[in-house]
Parts: sequence; structure tokens; C-alpha cells
Amino acid sequence: MDLTELIVEILVMPMIAFLVGLVLVLMMRKVRARVERRIGPPFLQPLYDIIKLYSKHTQISHGVMMDIAVIMVLGGVITMEVFLPVPGMNGLALQGDLLTLIYLMMVPSLGLALGVGACANPNGSIGISRALTAMLAYDVPFIIAVAGVSISYGTTSLPEMIAIQQAQGVQSWGVASVPLLALAGIIAMHAMLGKEPFEIYVAPAEIATGPMVEMSGKYLGTLFVMQSFQLYAIGVLYTNLFLGGGENWLTFLVKVFAVVFVSVAVTNVFPRYKTDDVLRWLWKWPTGIALAGLAVVMLNA
Amino acid sequence: MIGLDALVGLALLTVLVMFALGSRVWAGWAGLLLYALQLGILVAAGADLSAGDGVLTSSLSLAILGNELRWEMSGLGWYFAVITVGAALFTSWYAAGEWGRAQPGMRLFHTALAANVLAMLVLLASADLLSLFIGWELVSWASYLIMTQRGGPAAAAAYRYLLYAMAGAMAILGGLVLVQVELGTLGFAAVRDGLAGAPDGFVWAVMLLLGAGFAVKMALVPFHLWQGEAYGETPGPAAAFLGAISSRMGLFALLIVLVDLIGLARLMEMAIPYTFLDARDLWAWMAAITIIVPTFVALTQNDARMLLAWHGIGQGGYMLLGLMVGTPMGAAGGLLHVFNYASYQAPLFLVVTAVAHRTGTADLDRLGGLITRMPLSYVTMLLGIIGLAGLPPMNGFVSKWLVYKSLLDAQMPLLFVAAVVGTLGTILSVYKLIHNTFLGQLRMEHAGIREVPWSMTAPMLLLGALAFISGFFPGLALDAVDVAQRALGVELLPHHLGGVYTATGSLNMLWVVGVLLAAIGVGALIFYFGGNRSYHTHQLDNYAGGHFLTSKVQYHYSHDFYAGLMRLIRPWYRGSVQWAERGLVSLANLLGTTMHGFYRTAYTPIYLLVAVFIGLWMAVAS
Amino acid sequence: MTDPLDSIIRQAQELTLLLIVVPLLAAFLLASLSRASELLGRIAGPVVLIASALMAGQLWLLVQRTGTVVVAVGGFPAPLGIVLHADPLGVVFALATALMALLLWPRGGPRVREQTLTLLLVAAGSGMALSGDLFNLYVFYEIVAVVSYGLAAGRDRGLAYVAAVRYLILGAVGSAMALIGIGLLYRATGTLNLAHMAALAPGTLDGPLGLAAFTLMVIGFGVKAELFPVNTWVPEVYATASARVSGLLAGVVSKLALVVVVRVLITVFADTSAHLVLLALGLLSVVSGELAALRANDLWRVLAYSSIGQLGLVAIAFAVPGAPGVMAGLVVALHHLVVKPALFLVAESWGGPVSQLAGAGRRSPWAALLFVILVLSLIGVPPFPGFWAKYLLLRGALGQSGLFQVAAAAVGVATVVEAAYLFRIVRLLYRADGERALASRPPAADLVPATVLASVLLVAMFSVAPLGVAVDGIARRASDVGAYVQAVFPAGVPAAFAREAP
Repeated sequence: MDLTELIVEILVMPMIAFLVGLVLVLMMRKVRARVERRIGPPFLQPLYDIIKLYSKHTQISHGVMMDIAVIMVLGGVITMEVFLPVPGMNGLALQGDLLTLIYLMMVPSLGLALGVGACANPNGSIGISRALTAMLAYDVPFIIAVAGVSISYGTTSLPEMIAIQQAQGVQSWGVASVPLLALAGIIAMHAMLGKEPFEIYVAPAEIATGPMVEMSGKYLGTLFVMQSFQLYAIGVLYTNLFLGGGENWLTFLVKVFAVVFVSVAVTNVFPRYKTDDVLRWLWKWPTGIALAGLAVVMLNA
Repeated sequence: MIGLDALVGLALLTVLVMFALGSRVWAGWAGLLLYALQLGILVAAGADLSAGDGVLTSSLSLAILGNELRWEMSGLGWYFAVITVGAALFTSWYAAGEWGRAQPGMRLFHTALAANVLAMLVLLASADLLSLFIGWELVSWASYLIMTQRGGPAAAAAYRYLLYAMAGAMAILGGLVLVQVELGTLGFAAVRDGLAGAPDGFVWAVMLLLGAGFAVKMALVPFHLWQGEAYGETPGPAAAFLGAISSRMGLFALLIVLVDLIGLARLMEMAIPYTFLDARDLWAWMAAITIIVPTFVALTQNDARMLLAWHGIGQGGYMLLGLMVGTPMGAAGGLLHVFNYASYQAPLFLVVTAVAHRTGTADLDRLGGLITRMPLSYVTMLLGIIGLAGLPPMNGFVSKWLVYKSLLDAQMPLLFVAAVVGTLGTILSVYKLIHNTFLGQLRMEHAGIREVPWSMTAPMLLLGALAFISGFFPGLALDAVDVAQRALGVELLPHHLGGVYTATGSLNMLWVVGVLLAAIGVGALIFYFGGNRSYHTHQLDNYAGGHFLTSKVQYHYSHDFYAGLMRLIRPWYRGSVQWAERGLVSLANLLGTTMHGFYRTAYTPIYLLVAVFIGLWMAVAS
Repeated sequence: MTDPLDSIIRQAQELTLLLIVVPLLAAFLLASLSRASELLGRIAGPVVLIASALMAGQLWLLVQRTGTVVVAVGGFPAPLGIVLHADPLGVVFALATALMALLLWPRGGPRVREQTLTLLLVAAGSGMALSGDLFNLYVFYEIVAVVSYGLAAGRDRGLAYVAAVRYLILGAVGSAMALIGIGLLYRATGTLNLAHMAALAPGTLDGPLGLAAFTLMVIGFGVKAELFPVNTWVPEVYATASARVSGLLAGVVSKLALVVVVRVLITVFADTSAHLVLLALGLLSVVSGELAALRANDLWRVLAYSSIGQLGLVAIAFAVPGAPGVMAGLVVALHHLVVKPALFLVAESWGGPVSQLAGAGRRSPWAALLFVILVLSLIGVPPFPGFWAKYLLLRGALGQSGLFQVAAAAVGVATVVEAAYLFRIVRLLYRADGERALASRPPAADLVPATVLASVLLVAMFSVAPLGVAVDGIARRASDVGAYVQAVFPAGVPAAFAREAP
């Protein structure tokens, strides 16, 4: 794969991620609407929202750091997508493996945290403190699942994991070969999306939407963009790790949407856990399941 | 080629110059020059060392009491020496300008710093166990001097360090003498051969004695209690120097014993009875616990310097863990982390010192919003905490990646999870550090402070840039690590300028950082040209639910930043190691009182009578 | 050519006798001399001591050339007569006694009584070091004992009298026990000559009788050697006597007493379990002394307890069988002999509650620096000589098994405890905050001899290698029982005297 192909992939992959992400956001809002017995927004609504926010006349910033932080968020999510292999395009997944991807996924969160700090609003700071605490909570089962999966496949390179799963058929998919880890993984990824019952960091009525309290205009618009990228990334990552990737775009997108659908459907029927309850629950059940799955992997290894 | 004698001679000259002229205003600049010369000698020698299996030999050799003491610096010692002299260089630079002028007792500061460098060079150049011990004691006492020079709480913490260090030194001396008595020699090569043929029980005794002694300096759990306060309370850039490299001397000596003299293969053969663990697992788990526990203690700290000092303890665990995995990648990760850690820990301590210099406090509950007043310090701290957290694009990510990958490749998932949990805790803790210091609302009393002068910001920024560059081009630092790894007898890790390629997952920082920077550029384009111009509001113009804010209203969230987490975790912290330490001290005091009482009130004639009786009975019975 | 060698031997024999006689004579004449002329009285002592030191030095050189020199006093041959036995070990201690007495010479006006006692101490000390006969040894030991009681009571303070009386009672009972021990030895072997006893020892002194005799002697001589459990006099005496007297007692007298015990141990009880008795008592001394120092509240008492601990170390070192033990013990003993009197000198005006010392180091920086150097060497920090002493001790102890390894571990713990209490004081000295120190500055008259001793220490630090070789030679010569016997009885050992049937 030569350099020009690589450059093309680097340019194209984030665009695809953005577009698919927008549709995922739409699905999220449609599902919520249906649960609440509404119709929901039209198809292009997520895009309209972003354009509206960017074109607002009043754009209020709380300092250079806030601008830089939001740019960092944008840059981080774009970079993240380039390392996420999709059917036909590996991008840079051969230059940075699963571990790199996981840490790259933390860069936009860090950027957001810095920007919110620069806003000097305690609601935002509280929100970030809760978000980081929740990160500590959900990353533990997630990491255990990642460790188990890597040892089970014998590699941390995502394209290779996909190749192994596709070569050996459905029985080698993550959900079949390491079901406990897949279960722990879906729970952890649901928490990673920050959806109920783990959306304490937003808590709209309590801390005025937390990190987003001072964000408006293009700042909020960028956060919307980040949300669409995040839904896409989580869905694709789970599909690559546990659902065998995709031989072609059709099967791939079906799997991605299925994963995200599970998450956004479940979120509608839950209230919200407190911060220490988030920790307690995530460190008990998904972690226990993941450890059991890991034990199975190690015994078979 | 300029040899070891020139280097040590120059270091000795530095000590003498600092002792004579350390109170002059330009002493810091003189120190900078001298340390730069030492660094130059080291770098020049490095070219020779990497060419072959070379060592830097010294012409000094003594034959004392049947032992031959020699000094020669191998690649491993060279690697640590470069970091040592570099840290001293930046410390001296920082203290050369305004900071030094504002402090009393700078002569002792400069002399202690130079003495530390000299002692460390002597330690790093040892060629047999006895010269290692002599260098070790010199380093311990030099560290004590630099910690206690100002008095106050640092001196109390230094005293505690002294007791730990003496206990460790006695363990090392015991192990050393055991080796001499059994094997008859103390030179490294001979001891290596002797230990290969020795029975397991003997190797266990030697490993535990020497290992525990060196682990005290490295602050491995459970010998770690002294380091938090000792490094945190040491004033000024001396804390940066200590944090960057001082406890790594323990790692150096521990590596010589575990990896060079005994060897990982032997460690894996030595099983702990009644368990399925072996000696290597013991050390690996001690390292893992050292990663987790001090990191979470750092989370509870409210003083910025103590927070950084506790993180320093935790990061040492990564280094040992990587080296205990046994693969070339793990060893490279562990050794690289020594350099990376020094490159981001030093600027972090320097920033906190700068903030304390301007505001008079390092208490995280009393700071906030300084980003508008001290932007360069903010940038340095930002680079430092990204490095400490181990996120791309900084160099901390590279060494941590190497350690994680090696753990997964060696199929040690629990240790991998422990290492990552440590990183997660670090991310939380460093965010609190930067948020409470630079973000949030500015306090009224700090409204007028200025940024620190160039003599202080230049070394900080330069170190941050060094961390960034060695993260962008990790191959450069990995070349230096090769020199050390070869001297340790471990296979080398094949790498290129951007990182590492393996069949089961690669890392190429050139692409990662390049794409990240490009993406940030694209993001900036979208941001600035996609929307309208933003208008910057006043820092106090925040959303407050309709309420008007004035500067008197403290609208800042900093105290007990992770309240929810702490509510859960705090009861788990039993302080068992502290309890054990207090128990030992109480026992010593109790025994002391008993003996003291005996000497004051003993009715010795009774003892004499008993002894006479026994003696005569034995005589009559014969 | 035997002729020049003969003259050298004769010269050495004369020097041996003079070493004892000259200070003895000077002691008796000192009172009248000082009454006749004050100047003469003041310089007579130092002159005699310098002469003694020179004689000891000359004797050392001669003994290196000719081997051990034996003097049959009054012409009566051994084993009936009394012999003086000048081997390198004894000469070293005779030299050390003279030099230390010179450095610690009583000052502060005409102190004829103390000077007389000091000269007597030198004479009797040399006699103890050079004696080859148990009876002679006991006599000189008693002289040293009485002198030390007098010196201990020297200061005109009631507390000093109380402490000296306690010392006297303990010492008297101890001397009686030592005499009983010597009596038991005489009963078993029929002789009091050490060499004769050494030759006769294998059959007669192996069993419990010999062990009992040795135990009694150790406890008896152990009073002066500050061994557990008869060392309870030490804190009180050192706390109330003047610094120079404490230095003499801790530095010189204790070593001489221990050398006596060691001499008996390595010649007569070489291959028996008597070593374990000395080891056990040394171990108990180390543990009790160092731990008690943790609670002491007065710098002089701290130094006293430290002295107990260090002498326990010397005892453990000498308890290691063979030449390595003698070498280790010799190095530790000589090191303590240099360091402890220097510490007492520096701390002369730093008595009283330890809290008074806060900041004292900043008022007298030179004294504080000396204190730190001496303390570092005492703890055993390389590259100071104290480190080599502890290293040799551990090397000897870890080479044996059983109780020796326990003792090695105890030495390690004791070192940590030492560092704790000594550096507590160093920190107090350099404390910057708080009120000015109430303790007075050490006078120059005390700091000069302390500086001399510290420079000796530093010189030793730089010449460890040649010193090590020399001490190794001394140790080998001293532990060679065959050579000892050969020197005293060149024509062969006479048979045991006939004893009445038991």
C-alpha cells in the first residue's frame, strides 16, 4: 500500500465516520422519540443542528485555551478515526494498534476537560470530575476485556484480529469465542458513551449539563460533531473486536448500527446512578464478568 | 577518548567550585556550564560505548582487605549518568536567576547538588559489589544532605529517609558479605558465575537482602513511605532533581542484581514454596502494587508537590515491571521510561516551584485560574501532565505502550490491567493538578502576579519540548536505551526512528503524532473558518443561574475534587504499611525504655551472685 | 649472624621493661617534682608520655624484625618466673595507651592527683598489654582498676562520688570473680604462665571447668570492658566524670580489659566453645546499649550507651574464632579507641539536657563538623574507617553459623538504631529555628586534641590498604598459639607440675 493510497484513506475515513455518525445520532434521537411515543426529527436534523450552531452570530469564548481545547477535541476525534479499520480501508491501523487507539480515544476527552476548566464554571468542573471518575469506572472492565481479547487472538493489531475472525467464520467471532468478555465489553462501551444510567457527568437538571454549561455556538457544535464521531468509533470498535468486522460495507454497517442500537435503546429506560454508585456497579458486575472471561481465556491459552 | 577519570574529576571540581563560590550570584550559571561540560563528556563517550561492547574504565583501582575495588562505567551506568547530569543541568539553570537570588543558603544548595552528581557518577561506575556499596552510601548521604539543607519539614522527612536508608544499607552489606563469604569474590563477572552454580536457598537470601536494600531507595512498596514527604517538602528545584533521578539509582542497582547477576531465567526457576509464583512474579507484583497504591495516594493529596512526589513513586513501578517481563520490548520500555519520566517530571516540579514562588503556596485548594497570569508555565504543565498520564503525543505514551505490549505478548494480563489502572488513576490526578492550579477561577489575591522570568521558564519549556520531541521521534531515545540494554545482557529491541514494528501490532509515532498535528490543523481550519468570530468574555462572566457574580464570590470547584471516588475508596485505605512502620518504631522505643530502665535500676550484684553460683556449680560438677 | 640479632633482642627486652617502669617511676615522683618546681611538674608528665610513645614505637619496629620478644623478669625463667611477652598486639596497645594519655592529659591548672593517676594508668596499662603471666596480669589489672576509680571520682561533684562508688563496688566484685576464675585455671593446669597453660590446655581445660573459669574471668574483666551485665556503672560514670577521663576509660581502659580476655581466649581457649560465651555477652551488650541510647536525654549518657554498644561489637568481633576474628576485633577496637575519646572531647561542654543543644552547631561550626565526621565514622559510613571495621566484623560473623549470624543481624539493627539517635542530635545541632543554644561553646583546648584524633581518622581513611595489611599481620601473629608457646619456651614445654591427688 503506497503513500498516495494512504493519504487518500486518511482523508476519506474521517469523512465517512462523520456521515455515518450523523445517521447514528439520528437513530439515537428517533429511538428515543419512539419510546416516548413521538415521531422524532427529520433525517437531516443532526446536520442542520451543527450548521445552525456554527452559523450563530454570538460565539462566546472564555479564553484562548477554550478555543485550543475545542480544536484539540476536533483533531483528536479525526485522528481516532484514521486508526480504526473499516472494510476496504485499514488507514493507519498498521502503524498504531489497539492500545494506541484506546489512548488516542482519551485525547479528545482530555481536550474537552481542559476547555471546560478554562471556562471557569464550577458546574463544568464538577461535570468533568464526574466524567473522569466514570472513566476510571468503565475503563477497568474495558481494559480487562481488551487484555482477554488480545491474548485470545494473540495480537493487538486490529486488521489482524479482523482477518482472523473473518477467516475462521462465526464461531471465532468475539461473541462466540469469548462471550463473557463480549458482554463486559458492551456494558463498558455503553458507559463509555455516557448514556443513562451512567450520564451523571451531564446531569442536566443538577449541574446545568456539566461540561457543556458554558459551551454555545460553534463550541457546542464541535461537541455535537464529537458525539457523532464517538458513536461511530465505539460501534466500529466493538464490531471489529467482537463481531468479526465486516466483509463489505453492508454487513459492516448493519453490525455497527445494531451495536449502537442496543446502547441507545437501553438508555431510554434508565434513571441515573450517583457517582460512587457508578463506580460500585461498574467495578462489581462488568468487572467480575470480565475477570471470569479472562480466566477462561488464560486457562485455554 | 576522554575517560571516566576526566568525568569524575570534573564532577569533583564542580563540588569544590560550588563549595568555594556557591554564594555568588552567578554560581548557578557556573554550575550550568560545568554540568554542560560533564554532559558533553558523557555524550562523546556514548558514541564509543555504542560502537561495541565497550566500558569506560577508570585508572583507579584499590586492593583493600583482600578485595579488589575497580571502577568502570558500562552502558547501563552511562545511560543513567546522562539523565543525572542532564537533570542537574536544568536544576542549576533554574536556580541561576531570580529564584536563586530570593533564597538564603544557596551555597549549600549548589554544593549539595554537585555532591549528589559526583556521588551518583561514582555509584554508576562501580565494577564490583563493594565499590557499588561505597557508591551507594555516598549517594544516600548526598541525598540526605540535599533534602535537609533548608531545615523545616523537609529535614524531618529527611531524617525518616535516613533511617530507611540505613536499614537498607545494612541489608545490602549483609547480602554483600554473604556473597563474599560463600563465593570468595565480589567482582561482577565472578559473582555472576558463582551465583549460577549456587543453591536456590543462597540465591534467595542474596536476592532478598540486596533487593530489599535497593528497593528502599527506589521506594518499592512496602518501603515507600519516606519518599512522598521527603521529595515533596524539599524546596525548589532540588525536588525536581531528586524526583527525576535520585530514586532511579535504586533501580540501577536492583537491575544489576536481578537482571545482570542473577538473571531473569534463574529468577523464573526459583519458585516460592506452597504457591505457583516464582521470584520473578514476586518482583513483578511488587512493581504492580507500587504502580497502583501510590498513584491512588497521590489522588488524595492536596499539596501539589506531594502529589507529584507520590506519582514519582508510582512511575518507578512501571520501570521495574517492564524489566521483569524479560522480553527485549519490556526491557526497552522499562529503561526508556526512566528517561521519559525524568523529562516530564522535572518540568512539572519546576512549574509547581514557579507557582509557589509567585503565589507563596502550593496548596491546590488555594490556587486557581492562573492560566491568564502565567501562560508559559501553563504550557509546560500541560506538556508535563500529558507525558505523566502517558497519552500521545508525548514520550510517556511510548514507554508505557512498550510495557503494555510486552505484558500482553508475555500473556500476563493481570499485570497489564494493574498497569493500566495505574495510568487511569494518574490521568485523574494530573487533571486535578492542572485544573486546581491553572484552570477555574482566579483568586483575587493572585490577580496581580506575573509570569516567572526567562531564567525559569526557559529550562521548563526546553524540558517540555524535549519530552515532545522524544515522543515524536522515539527512535532517538531508543538508541540510547540500546546502549544500556546491551550492557545489561538483554537482547536489543529492533526499532526505527518512529517506533517499533512487530507482527502483532506496531507503533509508529511519526504517523500518530503527524496525523494528530495535521488533524488539529484541520480542526483549527474548520473551527476558525467554519463559524463566526468568537468574542472573549471576562473570566467572571459565567453562567450562574441568573445570579450576578462579583469577584468576591468564590465560584470555583477545587476542594475534594473527586468527592464521589474518594467516598468509595477512602475506607479501603487501611494504612497497613504505615501501621507496620509505627509498630516497629513503638517496638524500638519500648525496648529502648526497657534497656534504659535496666541500666538505671539494675541490681547488678544479684546477677554477679547468680553468675558466681553457676560458675562454681559448673566447676564442682566437672 | 646471631650477634646483632641478640643485641636487638636485648634492646627490645629493655624497652619492654622501660615501658612499664618509666611511667611508674614518674607517677611516684610527680608529686614531689611539682612541689619543687611548678614548671617541671607541668611538663614532666607529657615528656614522660612522649618518651613512652617513642619507646613503644621503637619496640614496634624491633619486634617487626625479630619476632616476639620475651622478657623473664628478674632472670627467673618461665613457668615459675613472670614473663613479659611483647608481640605486635601488645605493643600496639601499649603505644595507643601512651598516645591517648598524652592527648587526654588533664588540663585546667595543676592537677597533680589526676596526672599521677594517668601516669599510673599508662604504666599498668602497658603492663597488662605486655604481660605473659596471669598473676602479673591480675596485679596490673587491679592497679588500672584502682586508678580508674580515682579518676572517675576526680571531679569535685557529689554525683561523681556516687557513680565512682557504684563503679568501685562492681569492680571489686568483678575482680574477685576474675580471681576465682584464675584460681580455677590454676587448679586445673597447675600453672599461671599463659604459654604453659596454652600448651597444657587441650587435655585439662576443654570441659565445663574451663568454660566456667573463662565465664568467671569474662564477667570479672568485663566490668572494665563494659560487657553486659556488669556495665551498669558506665552511664553514671561517663555522665559525671570529665570528658578526658571518660575518654580514657571508654577508649583505653575498656580495650585493655577486653584485650586481656581476648589474650586468654586465643591462647588458652582457642578451640573450645568459650567463644560463644564472649559472643553471647557481646550480643547482649550491643542490643542493650544501643537500644538504651534511644531514650537517653543527655549527650554524655548517649555517648556512654553508645560506648557500651560499640564494645559489644568489639566483643562479638573477637569472639569469631581464628585470625579473622582477631583482625576484626582489632580494627573495631582501634577505631573506637580513636573516635570515642574525640567525641567526648567535642561534647565536653555540651552536657545537660539534649534540648539545650538546639542550634549549638551554628555557634561553633568547627566542633559541629568534627562531631558529624566522628559520628559518621562511628555509624560505619564508607569511606570512613568505621565502615571497614563493621565490614570486617560482618565478614567474620557471617562466615560462622548459628549464633554468629544472629549477632550479625543484631549488628545491622544496632547500626540503624545508632544512626537514629546520633543523627537526632546532629539535627538538633544544626537547627536553625528556635532560640539560641544554651549550651556553651567547646573551648579550643578540647577541640585541638579532638582535631588531632579526627585527622588520624582521616589519614587512616586514605591508607586503609596498607593499614589492613599491617593489622592482618598482627592478627596472624597473635592467634598463632604455637608461636606464642615457642617464643616463651624455646627449649620445649616443661611437664605439668605434680598436683595432689584429687
